[in-house]
Amino acid sequence: MESLLYSILGVLVSLILAFTVGMTYMGLSRKITARIQNRIGPPFYQNFIDAMKLYSKSTGIHHGVMHHLGPAFIMVTSVMSLMIIPILNDSAFFTNMNFHGDLIFLLYIMTFGPLGMALGAGQTGNPNSAIGVTRGLSQMVGFEIPWVMAIIALMIRYDTSSIVDIMNIQADAGRWIMFSSPFTFIAALLAMLGMFRYSPFDIVGAPTELASGPMSENGGKYLFTMMSSSSIFAFAKLTLYVNLFMGGADNLLVLIIKTFALYMVPLLYGTVSPRYRTEQAVRYFWGWPSFFGLLAILYAVFF
Amino acid sequence: MINDKNSQKIVDHIHNFARKHSLWVLAYGTGCGAIEIPPTMTSRYDAERLGVRGAATPRQADLLLITGYLTTKTLKRVIRVYEQMQDPKYVIGFGSCTINGGMYYDSYNTINALDRYLPVDVYINGCMPRPEAVIAGFTKLQELITAGKADGAAKYKEKLEWYRKNQKNVIPNWTMPEYNW
Amino acid sequence: MNSIVIIFLIFLAGAVLTYIGQRLSNILGSSLFLLTIFAATAQFYLRVNTGDIFSFSLNGLEMEWGITPISWLFSLIVLGLGSMAAVYSISAMKAKERLGYFYFNFIMGIFSMMGILLSRDLVSFFIFWEIMTWSSYMIVIYEGRSVQKVGIKYFLFSAIGAYAMLMAIVIIYSQVHSVLIEDLVYSFSSFTLAYKIWLPILLLTGFGVKAGMMPLHVWAPGAYSHSPMAYSSLFSGALSKMGVYGMVLVFSMLITQIPEHLLIREVIAWLGALTAAIGTLWAIAQDDAKKLLAYSSVAQLGYIITGVAVGTELAMLAAIFLAVLHALFKGTLFMVVGAIEKQTGTTNLTEVTGLIRKMPWTFIAALMSIIALAGIPPLGGFVGKWMLYEALIASDHYILVVLIFFASTAGFLYCYKFLFGFFLGQEEKEWAHVKEAPATMVVPMLIFSVLLFVLGTFPGLLLKPIDIGMQELGYAASEGHYWTMSVLFNEYGNAIMLQPILYAIIAIFLFFLVFLTAKAFKGTRYVSTKDISSSGEVPGEFENLSFKENFFQPFLRAVEPVMKRQIDWYYTLVGNGMEALFNFVRRVYTGNGQTYAIYAIVFLVILLLLKSNLFG
Repeated sequence: MESLLYSILGVLVSLILAFTVGMTYMGLSRKITARIQNRIGPPFYQNFIDAMKLYSKSTGIHHGVMHHLGPAFIMVTSVMSLMIIPILNDSAFFTNMNFHGDLIFLLYIMTFGPLGMALGAGQTGNPNSAIGVTRGLSQMVGFEIPWVMAIIALMIRYDTSSIVDIMNIQADAGRWIMFSSPFTFIAALLAMLGMFRYSPFDIVGAPTELASGPMSENGGKYLFTMMSSSSIFAFAKLTLYVNLFMGGADNLLVLIIKTFALYMVPLLYGTVSPRYRTEQAVRYFWGWPSFFGLLAILYAVFF
Repeated sequence: MINDKNSQKIVDHIHNFARKHSLWVLAYGTGCGAIEIPPTMTSRYDAERLGVRGAATPRQADLLLITGYLTTKTLKRVIRVYEQMQDPKYVIGFGSCTINGGMYYDSYNTINALDRYLPVDVYINGCMPRPEAVIAGFTKLQELITAGKADGAAKYKEKLEWYRKNQKNVIPNWTMPEYNW
Repeated sequence: MNSIVIIFLIFLAGAVLTYIGQRLSNILGSSLFLLTIFAATAQFYLRVNTGDIFSFSLNGLEMEWGITPISWLFSLIVLGLGSMAAVYSISAMKAKERLGYFYFNFIMGIFSMMGILLSRDLVSFFIFWEIMTWSSYMIVIYEGRSVQKVGIKYFLFSAIGAYAMLMAIVIIYSQVHSVLIEDLVYSFSSFTLAYKIWLPILLLTGFGVKAGMMPLHVWAPGAYSHSPMAYSSLFSGALSKMGVYGMVLVFSMLITQIPEHLLIREVIAWLGALTAAIGTLWAIAQDDAKKLLAYSSVAQLGYIITGVAVGTELAMLAAIFLAVLHALFKGTLFMVVGAIEKQTGTTNLTEVTGLIRKMPWTFIAALMSIIALAGIPPLGGFVGKWMLYEALIASDHYILVVLIFFASTAGFLYCYKFLFGFFLGQEEKEWAHVKEAPATMVVPMLIFSVLLFVLGTFPGLLLKPIDIGMQELGYAASEGHYWTMSVLFNEYGNAIMLQPILYAIIAIFLFFLVFLTAKAFKGTRYVSTKDISSSGEVPGEFENLSFKENFFQPFLRAVEPVMKRQIDWYYTLVGNGMEALFNFVRRVYTGNGQTYAIYAIVFLVILLLLKSNLFG
């Protein structure tokens, strides 16, 4: 019983951590974008204010059961992946569910949310939502290819599919996988551009084109849940990349530095890019990123 | 404890603080005033530093910004958009046209006073109001929210019949669903 | 009398009685129909034990019927899906014509499949195989002239498969002088290399046609989508599994005995993966739900074929697991389409819309099977896919696993299209009258959904019989090594614990459901799908706000080069070429007696010239 309580506490703490860090990153991203555009920009805590405002909206509408459940589905994905991904190296407190799933499970649980959200967005009956969903799914087929190639390369090279093992291997070797398997890292990094949906891959939410796509009928609590989910998920993904390629982190400060550095990649790439069309985005991922993925697999097989 | 009047006051205070610093604007570019929105939002005046941000759809928006004259045709859409927004919601009338019709005061197909059809919280005077004036308008709205006086939505609910009568007077073929919350 | 013979007699007598009974009265016919299938099912599971054998000799040929663990496993698919589809078809086929004909062929279909599973010699195997082809052909052409072309295509390919199989059987008999499968397996290693290569290829051609393996799959989309949906679920769910069953036997018994460097495994595995990828792409492009599911079946069978062909323990486990699951979810999905067709009169995804509030139970069944199909945890499909990936990676098929993964991810696209098209989106006035399907149609679907859910967390329930069946085929026991009741292991020893995962998912889901509902309870209300933010416009009654046409156009544009030509095109090319050739050959018949005389003389001269070579 005590151990159960202890692990629930661990989950809650990591949830709060992910929420706080993710929200701060999003706020910082707004600030940085503003500075790049020669503006002052909102304060870095702006996203917390936005979240609180959304939460305090006094009315809300839904278009039916699936629409109502949509945000809960996305939350499942975010929280599950946060629980599967180890947060720190060898931390007893943040163990959560690290040993209950592996990389391929992670790949699939990551698609649970988008499909749930797609169903929710579908029931609104707003054509923009459905268009956004089709774009999102198409883009997912795009970036999953280099991403899965990178994961397979890791599995071949290190003979394991567990994230904890990969972290331990890096700790033992004293060398980050980012340097020992560079092609794998490049393929995964390029896939990450699509995962984060910043420009040029922001074809799903495209505010001027699709009126924010799948989210166009969500306000108030629904939007709040989606927003917190996406910030938790962003943190989970960044942590995963740090674990897989940058040797994990020994304490929270290191984790935050590493994730923030990684977060700058899609963000800075995004601020200077226009938007791709859907087919261009899909084909982009099947081009160079997949080529690097292939190189990564070859490298892992032969070296 | 939670339903306690004092704690409710604190909660309201926090909520109002959040609402005040996070105004998501649905800019309904009806008239010529829409041209003043881009400079307000971009580098020169940067309204985002006040927490003002564009919203994509009425469901997400807090603030309806009506930029300029309204023909009877667009009025219908504006009412619809306003009713689709979620409480609490605010309206800013932008430019002289929304106050008294401005240079279109005697036009046969524009409305003169927006106030008769929608509850306006803040007016921004001028033809055109400059971005400074727009930002001053936002600040005024923030002050009203802090004081708890930006209660246009409540007023609309209260006097719905009166507003409906006025709206139906100028919109000849009324096909709108009833406003029901 | 032997219990196996009794089953066959029940089927045969039941089929004939049902046909006659249907002539007399509707109720009599359908009750006899159900009675036959349930009686046979009960007889099979209560009275037949593994190891029962019935042998007899016909014209000096030793023949044998009996049951092995692996055929017992496949009988779960046939009888389980068969009985549920039978219950379903009572309501689904109500008020249709020629019901006696349908019931007769339905029973004959199940009978022949059971026959295939129970026969342990090649001749009865072949005979039952042909009965299966005939009975399913009869149902494919159930709707008459309009489906003639589809029927011919199906029959043509079935015939190609059957001849290949017959040729193989003749060769086997000439070598072994027995048609028993055991004898073949026993003496296969003494065959010459040429026979060792050609026999499996001939047999695999036969099985590949039924399993819809590329490039022999072209009959499948038409045949699946044009037979009545009540039968399609059996057709795609169970009948195609007979091809898989044959492949499992060939790969585990024969191909293990030939040298690895011949690459038969690799070629078939690649064909399977290509089938999966191309089938998925074509499924995405379909606007008709039946066609979509038909292509999706082709794609799903592609995974199974790949798993069987790779043939390591884990891969085989995954493939058979997926085969059973495919029967469950694709059976359900075809039933869903049938229910919708019955209630709305169409299956076009661009027409029907917004049924979720009208047919909630059908929606739940569809949602569950779609989640399983997409392979998303915590449902059963995930277990199969996970094992397949791990097996492929562990057996060094790296590019194959990327291809399979591509197919599986792209599968989300058509999954969403199916759900969105029928159930979500705008609720149009045109479909306001639609009601939930009758209980006898909904209950079978829901039973399957529950099974999918249970198997997602406790796959051990199904993996246990698979394991026993595979041990019979010569594999090592895999329990504890690759799986326990609700934990899966891969080659590296990493584990997936399904039970805690399920509980965690449910806990998180409920937590946020309560959060959303409780906090939003006061101010949240339902608004219709017409009340959407459409730039302030109030949509009129006949305004079309549905996004349906060209649903995945950008994606299809991105994959355009692959989809430029269907395989049909190549077959048509070959067909046209043949026709031209025969037209040319026809010219020898000039109708002039003198010419024929010349031919005779020329022929004689050639014979004389070649005399020494031919007769010497």
